[in-house]
Amino acid sequence: MNDAPAAAAAVGVNAVTPRPRSDARLVLGLAAAALVLVAIGPYLLPDFLINNLIRGFLYAAVALTVDILWGYTGILTFGQSAFFGIGAYAAGLSFTHLGFGLGIAAFALVGGIAVAALVALVIGWLAFYHGASPLYASVITLVLPIIVAQILYSGGTFTGSSSGLSGFESFDLSLQIWFWIAGVFLVVLTSAAWLFVRSDAGRVLIAIRENEPRCEYLGINVSRLKIVLMVVCAIVAAVAGYAFACVQMVIAPEYAGFVFGTELVIWVALGGRGTLIGPVIGTLLIDTSTAYLSGSLPFIWKLVVGLAFVIVIVALPRGFAPLIGRVFRPRRAEADARGEVPMLRASAKPARTDRESAQTRALDLNAVTKHFGSLRVLDGIELQADHGELLSLVGPNGAGKTTLIRCVSDGGERSSGSVRVNGHDIERRAPYQCVAYGVGRKFQNANTFDALSVAQSLRIARSRLQRPSLWSRAATLALPEGALKVMQATGLDRMLGVEVRHLAHGQKQALELAMVLAMEPSVVLLDEPTAGLTRPERQLIGSVLVELTQQQRLCIVLVEHDLDFVREISSRVVVLHQGRIVLDGTVAQVVESELVRTIYSGGSAMSGAHA
Amino acid sequence: MTGNALQLNRVSSGYGEALVVRDVNLSVAAGEIFVLLGKNGMGKSTLLKTIMGFLPAGGSIKLFGDEITRAAPHRIARKAIAYAPQEQALFQDLSVEQNLRLALLDAGAFQSGLDRIGAYFPFIPQRLKQRAGTLSGGEQKMLLVARALMSRPRLMLIDEISEGLQPSVIEKLAGVFRAERAQTKTAILLVEQHVRFALAVADRYAVLKLGEIVERGDVGEQDAAAHIIDHLSV
Amino acid sequence: MAQILDIITTAAILYVVCAGLLIVFGVMKIINFAHGGFLTVGGYSALLVTKMGWHPWWGIPVSFAIGCVCGMVIERLVVRPLYARPLDAILATWGLGIIIGQLITLGFGREVQFVQSPVRGAIDFAGASYSQYRLILVGAAIVLGLALSAALNGTRLGLQTRAVIMNENLARGLGINSGLVRFITFTLGAGLASLAGALITPLSSVDPNLGVPWLVGAFMLVMVSGMSLVSLAIACLVLGGAQVLVSTYGNPVLGGLTIVVLAALLLRLRPQGFARE
Repeated sequence: MNDAPAAAAAVGVNAVTPRPRSDARLVLGLAAAALVLVAIGPYLLPDFLINNLIRGFLYAAVALTVDILWGYTGILTFGQSAFFGIGAYAAGLSFTHLGFGLGIAAFALVGGIAVAALVALVIGWLAFYHGASPLYASVITLVLPIIVAQILYSGGTFTGSSSGLSGFESFDLSLQIWFWIAGVFLVVLTSAAWLFVRSDAGRVLIAIRENEPRCEYLGINVSRLKIVLMVVCAIVAAVAGYAFACVQMVIAPEYAGFVFGTELVIWVALGGRGTLIGPVIGTLLIDTSTAYLSGSLPFIWKLVVGLAFVIVIVALPRGFAPLIGRVFRPRRAEADARGEVPMLRASAKPARTDRESAQTRALDLNAVTKHFGSLRVLDGIELQADHGELLSLVGPNGAGKTTLIRCVSDGGERSSGSVRVNGHDIERRAPYQCVAYGVGRKFQNANTFDALSVAQSLRIARSRLQRPSLWSRAATLALPEGALKVMQATGLDRMLGVEVRHLAHGQKQALELAMVLAMEPSVVLLDEPTAGLTRPERQLIGSVLVELTQQQRLCIVLVEHDLDFVREISSRVVVLHQGRIVLDGTVAQVVESELVRTIYSGGSAMSGAHA
Repeated sequence: MTGNALQLNRVSSGYGEALVVRDVNLSVAAGEIFVLLGKNGMGKSTLLKTIMGFLPAGGSIKLFGDEITRAAPHRIARKAIAYAPQEQALFQDLSVEQNLRLALLDAGAFQSGLDRIGAYFPFIPQRLKQRAGTLSGGEQKMLLVARALMSRPRLMLIDEISEGLQPSVIEKLAGVFRAERAQTKTAILLVEQHVRFALAVADRYAVLKLGEIVERGDVGEQDAAAHIIDHLSV
Repeated sequence: MAQILDIITTAAILYVVCAGLLIVFGVMKIINFAHGGFLTVGGYSALLVTKMGWHPWWGIPVSFAIGCVCGMVIERLVVRPLYARPLDAILATWGLGIIIGQLITLGFGREVQFVQSPVRGAIDFAGASYSQYRLILVGAAIVLGLALSAALNGTRLGLQTRAVIMNENLARGLGINSGLVRFITFTLGAGLASLAGALITPLSSVDPNLGVPWLVGAFMLVMVSGMSLVSLAIACLVLGGAQVLVSTYGNPVLGGLTIVVLAALLLRLRPQGFARE
C-alpha cells in the first residue's frame, strides 16, 4: 500500500520546487545603510565620540553573543567578559613580551581564539551535561570570569596584575580606520547573526529555550549544540577583545571580570533580549551615555541604569526594543503570514534500515525495574512487542505506565534490566540516542513549542533527518505520510503559519503527534494522546493510529485511561498493576477478565469480597 | 444547619487550555456524604483541586453560601474546609504531631482535637513523635483522615482514600466517616473508584466521565450499584 | 594551632555571611543577588552607629532592623513578581545590588571608611595569641545557627515555613498563607545579611562595594548546601578550611578561588552537594 502521492496531491504539491527563502535582501539593505553610516561617521563626529563608538562597537559585538546565548537559547551567561578578556590579553601579552609585528599579531589572534575556544569547550562540558539545571549553567558562567580575572591579578609583572598592561606597540592605524574596522565588524556580525537566527537552524535555538526536553526527544543532541554555540560565541568575544586591545593599547583584569559580564547582560536586557538589534543599540546608547554622563553625574547615572534594569526585568522582560518595534509589528506579522509559510509535501519513502522488522523485535524489555528509594514503581517487567502491533498499556493511577514509557525512551531512567529497541540495546543512552534507534515519544500533556509556528515545530522534528540550513528557510516542508495524515485529519495543514500558543488543546495534541511521526520512528510511545480531546477528535486520532500500525507496520505503545478507546483500536492489551504486568492478552481476554474488573472497581485488596 | 455546604454551578476547569472538568453542577448538603465516582483521568481529582482554588475555575463555587470561586487556596482552607489530596498528602519528613498541628489555625485546639481523633485512631496519640514517612501505608491514610478531622471542618474533601488499603482499614474509615457525620453534621465529598466502599458510606453519588457528570442518584435506590458498575467496568 | 583557629573562624565568618542567603533560597527557591547589597547596608549601619557615638554593639540591632526594612520593601516591589522566573530574579536582585551600592555612594561617599570594633586586641587561646574579635564571631555563628534552628523547629511560624519548603501546595491547602511566609522569610534573610555585614566590617573596612566580593562565595556555598543549616555548616568548614589551607601553602590568589572552583566541581559530580539526598 502506498498512497503517499495521493496525500501529497491533497496538500497541493507542484512540479516546481520553490527556492529557499531568507532575509538576505532585507539584511543586505539594512547592512548597506549601516555601512554608509559607518563610512561617513568619522567625518561628522568629534574625536571623543569616535573613540567611544569604536569601543561601543566592540562591546556590542560581545553583547550580541550574550543575546544569542541568553535571549535566543535561554542560557543566562555572565561569562562572555572572560572570553573578551582572553582575546584582549592574547594581544596585550604578545605585544608586550614579544614585541609587535604582523606575524606576532597573527599569532596572538590565533592564540587568543584557540584559548577562548578551548576554555569554552571546558565550560560547555561542565555546564551542559545531560540533565544539568539552567541555574547550574549560570553558576559556571559566573565562576569563569572570576577565575580568569583572578589569574590575571596574580600574574605579577607578566600580566601587569591589577594595573594591567599598557604602552605596548600595536597596529599603526588612525582612529578613523579603526572606526571603520570595528564598524564593519559589527555590521557583518549582526547581519550574519540575523540571518542565522531567522534560518531554519536558528529556530532550533528558540526550541531549546522553549522546551529543552522536547528537543531531546526529537533526536536533537542539545548538549552538543549548546557547546558548539558556546565555542562560537567565545571566539567572537575573543576577536572583539583582541581588537579592543589593539585600539586602546590599555588592558586591565576588569575587562575579563564578572562585573563586566553582568554589565553585558544589563545592556542586552535593556535593549531587548532576543532581538539582536536591541542589544546592539542598547549597548551603543548606554556605553556612550555613560562616557558622557559619568563625568558630570557619576553616581546618579549608574543609579539610573540600575533602576532601569530592575524595572525592565520585572515589568518589561523583553526590554525597550519591542515597545518601539510594536509600531512596525502589524505590517510584519502580515508579511510573515504571507511569505513565511512553507509548502507541505510528502517526503521520499524512507529507505528503512530498521525494516528489519521481519527479523528483530520492535521492543524487548528484560527484567526492567525502577525504584525510587525503597519504593518499587516497576518490578521485573518482561515485555516484547513486534512491528504491526498496537499495544495498549492500561492500569490504575500509579501502576507505573508512564514510568515504563520513560524507561524505554531514556536509557538513564531504569534502575536495572535491559531494553532493546529494534535489536539495539539502549544501555544508558540519552533520549536523543534512543530516537536514533527508532523511538518516538509523545508526552502526556501536549508538549510543544509555544513560541514557534506549526510549520517551524515540524521542521524541528525533521531536523535530525534533514539538516536545516544555517542561513535560509526552506520553501517546502517534507513530511512522511503518517504525519501528513494527522495534519490533514485535524486541519492543521491549513494552519502552518499559526503560532502554537494560539492553537486549541486538541490541535496541540495532534501537532505533537505529527511531530513525533515526522521523525519517522518505528516504535511510537504515546502517553495519553487523547487526554482532553473531544470524542470526534479521539476517533480521528484512533483511526490514524490503526492505519499506521497496519499499513506502515509501526509498533505503537499506547498508554490510555479511556478503556473504550483502548477497546476500539488495540491489537493487544497489557495490564499493569503496582509495577507488575498482571495480564497480557487480546482485548477480549482483558474485557472478560475478572481480575481487571476488580482492579478497576476497588483495588486488589477487595478481590475476595467483590460482588 | 440548613442549606448547602457546597454548591457548584456550571464549574469548568483544567490545566492550561485543556478542559478536564466541564460544566459540572453539584451540591452537597450539610451533614451529607456525597461520593463522586469515575475511572482514572475523568476529572475527579481535578474537580477537588478546583474547589480548593488550586486551578482557575469557570462558573461559580459557593461554600455555605459564600462565593469562593478564584479565592486563594489558603483563604478557602480557612473557611473550615479540610482537604485530603490523593498524592503527597503528608509532610513525610515531619512528625505525626507536626502534621496534625499544621492543620490547626488555633494552636490551643491541639489537645482537644487529639482527644477527638484518638477516639477513632488510638495509635495516633501514642506515636506523636514518629516521622510520618515511617508509618505504614494504612497508618498514613488514617493520619490523613485524622488531620482532616483535627480542625473540626464543616466540609471535608477526600480524594481516593481507599486506594491500596486493606479491607479492614477501609471498613474502619467508613465507620469514622459515618460517625463523624452523625456527631458533627459535617459534609463530606468523597472521590472514589472503590464502588463498595463508596456505596457503604455515601448518601448520594454522581459518576464523572470525561469531565462531565453522566449519572447521579441516591445510594438507596435499588439499582444504584448496577448503574455505577456499568459506567466503571471495562 | 593558629591554623585550626583560622579554619574555624573563617568557617564561622562564612556561615554568618551565608545564613540569610540560604534561608531565602530554601524557602523561595530564588538566589538573592542583592545579598551583597544587604551586607553593605549592614556595614554602613555599623558605621552610622560609630559616627553617632553609640557603643559599637548597637550596630547589631540597628543593622538588623535596617536590613529588615529594606527586605520588606524589596520583597513587595521587586521579588514578588519574579517567583516564577528564577533566572530573572537573579538579574533583578543583582540590579538592586547596584542601586543599593549607588545610593550608599551618594550618601556616604565612595571612600573607604573604618568602623570601630566592639572589642580589640588578642587573647591567649590554647597557648597562642589570637584575635579576640574573630573568636567572638565563632560564638556569633554558633548562636545564629542555634537560634535559626530553634526558630525553624520550635515555633509555629517555623513549622509553617518548613511546610512551605517541603510542599507548598499542601501547605496552602491546610490554610497556610505561603505568600506571607515568603515575605517574612525575605525580610529575615535581608535582616540577617545586614547583620552579617555589621559583624564582618570590624575585620576590615567599609566601602560601597563591600558586599560584592562576598556575594559569589556565599552563593556557591549555598548552592552546595541544599537547604539545610547543617550542610551549610559542613560546607563552610570544608570549603572555608580548604581556602585557608590553599592560601597558606599555595598562594592567596588561588586561595580566593578555592571556594568557587571546588563548589562548581562538586556540583558537577554530585548535584545535591553537601545535602543528604
